[in-house]
Amino acid sequence: MSHEQKLEHTLTYLHSELNRLETMAGTMASIEQEHFKKLTNYDHRELNDIAVEEKTAARQLGSMKQMCLSMAQRINELKNEWHHEESRENHNHVEIH
Amino acid sequence: MWKYIDSLMRTAINRTVDRTVLRAIRDQYTENVMEMIPATTKVGVTNLLEIAMRANQGTPLSRPLGSPIHASPWDRLFFNPVHLFRFPTQDNVQIQTAVTIGKRAKRPLTVSIPILIAGMSFGGALSKKTKIALARASSIIGTATNTGEAGLLEAERENAQLLIGQYNRGGWLNQADKYKRLDAIEIQLGQGAQGSAPQRTTAKNIGPEFREVFTLKKGEAAEIKSRLPGVHTKDDFIQLVHRLQEEAEVPVGLKICASHHLEKELQIAIEAGVDFITLDGAEGGTHGGAPTLQDDVGLPTLFAIARAADYFASKGITDEISLIATGGLVTPGQMMKALALGADCIYIGTAALMALVSEQMTKTIPFEAPTSLVVYAGKMTDQLDVTQATQNLVRYFNAVLQEMELVAISLGKTSLSDLSKTDLCTLDPFISKATGIELGYVAPEKQTAFFEEFQPEIYQSIDPVISEETRLH
Repeated sequence: MSHEQKLEHTLTYLHSELNRLETMAGTMASIEQEHFKKLTNYDHRELNDIAVEEKTAARQLGSMKQMCLSMAQRINELKNEWHHEESRENHNHVEIH
Repeated sequence: MWKYIDSLMRTAINRTVDRTVLRAIRDQYTENVMEMIPATTKVGVTNLLEIAMRANQGTPLSRPLGSPIHASPWDRLFFNPVHLFRFPTQDNVQIQTAVTIGKRAKRPLTVSIPILIAGMSFGGALSKKTKIALARASSIIGTATNTGEAGLLEAERENAQLLIGQYNRGGWLNQADKYKRLDAIEIQLGQGAQGSAPQRTTAKNIGPEFREVFTLKKGEAAEIKSRLPGVHTKDDFIQLVHRLQEEAEVPVGLKICASHHLEKELQIAIEAGVDFITLDGAEGGTHGGAPTLQDDVGLPTLFAIARAADYFASKGITDEISLIATGGLVTPGQMMKALALGADCIYIGTAALMALVSEQMTKTIPFEAPTSLVVYAGKMTDQLDVTQATQNLVRYFNAVLQEMELVAISLGKTSLSDLSKTDLCTLDPFISKATGIELGYVAPEKQTAFFEEFQPEIYQSIDPVISEETRLH
């Protein structure tokens, strides 16, 4: 396997894992949100503080989701640019021959 | 026995009040203490106090927390809830609050909420304990805190997951070994409560740790110059931005006091390629500053945001350069309106400090000001409970965010970054014309007709001379 192929496989792997992480972060954020709702039902100060932590965690998971999404986009852009360059090089190569 | 005392007291109070009232009525103003009432009404309580303080000190006053004048008419803006024409967001949908600052930077900065903790320096403004509490709370919430104009306080760096540092006019954070440890760099050329004026902390107010963090010699004052060391031309500034971006690889931004020269300042920042711009409106806070700088200098935050957002849109760079707004944003509604006007995120300083002190203010009142718990030179800084302060701030942020999320649901939005001017209406025709927010008095399709029909009347209310000229033309 050439160095370029290896790099492309790695990028593809990172892209799919980032998509998975994004989904996981979204799911976990929903769970945290549910916990927040349940914990605020009791009108108990300590439980309320735990609920606030859950809500904060949900927001942080939301930002993880956004970070995964933008990283996946960057990888996609990188792959597209690379493919574009590769096809241009192949085209030039064909023209020369 | 108690009945007798009660009766005695009532008689005493009655006689005293009667005599006071009669005295107030019978004495001429020149002999009458009640003269204070019209005098204070004319001058204002704050101004009266500050006149007396100036007369006593003979030097500029150092008023804490910024101007008491509310120059931005936030209360003239209202959000537009939806019901049928567009449906509100379902309540099980998590409102997205994350924001990325400096999307073009090599390492952009993503925060979980669009509210950051403003630059309030260790030493120059706040105590070490307060800085630690702010840093800890910011890490729990997933936002960033700011060094203010200071050196790098190790305890702040250790406790803050995300730290924005001010490349400052004192030069205390301007060394590569310090700014390379930051998550974003904000070149500080001014602030709402101080303009670009110099500031000075005298040596007597500087303790050993302050000296160490600021690398000052014993007996040396901490001085903030009016200009950044080494930056005297536009090109100097552009080169500085490029150098910092190259060396630190984090978002590099500019912080200024908003003014009527706004677009000219923004243009230079755009040419320099900054990743974000922080605009501090005239209502911005400070640990202490001259009242004239606070009350009479700068552009109110609301108009600064609207003008900057318009300028970015006209240049097609809205998505490239992040706009951070600050200055007098106290309520969740004001913060949210700032976002709707075009800010990507906002800084809060005064409100964060008040939330941090909140329950602990009972330690200070009635004999000391609550700020004595948090300011560096305060008498009671050792009594601040950092854990409780952190907890209070985390609770405050959550409450603010939840209120904002409720409004977002009512507007039919799924993300705070989706807020825009179309989510607002205003009750002020001038704000409507200046900002592009529709006027709430008439239906959207009647806006143009309204302004055409009432143009002379609107001018009349500003200036009769302009009105006459408009009529003649």
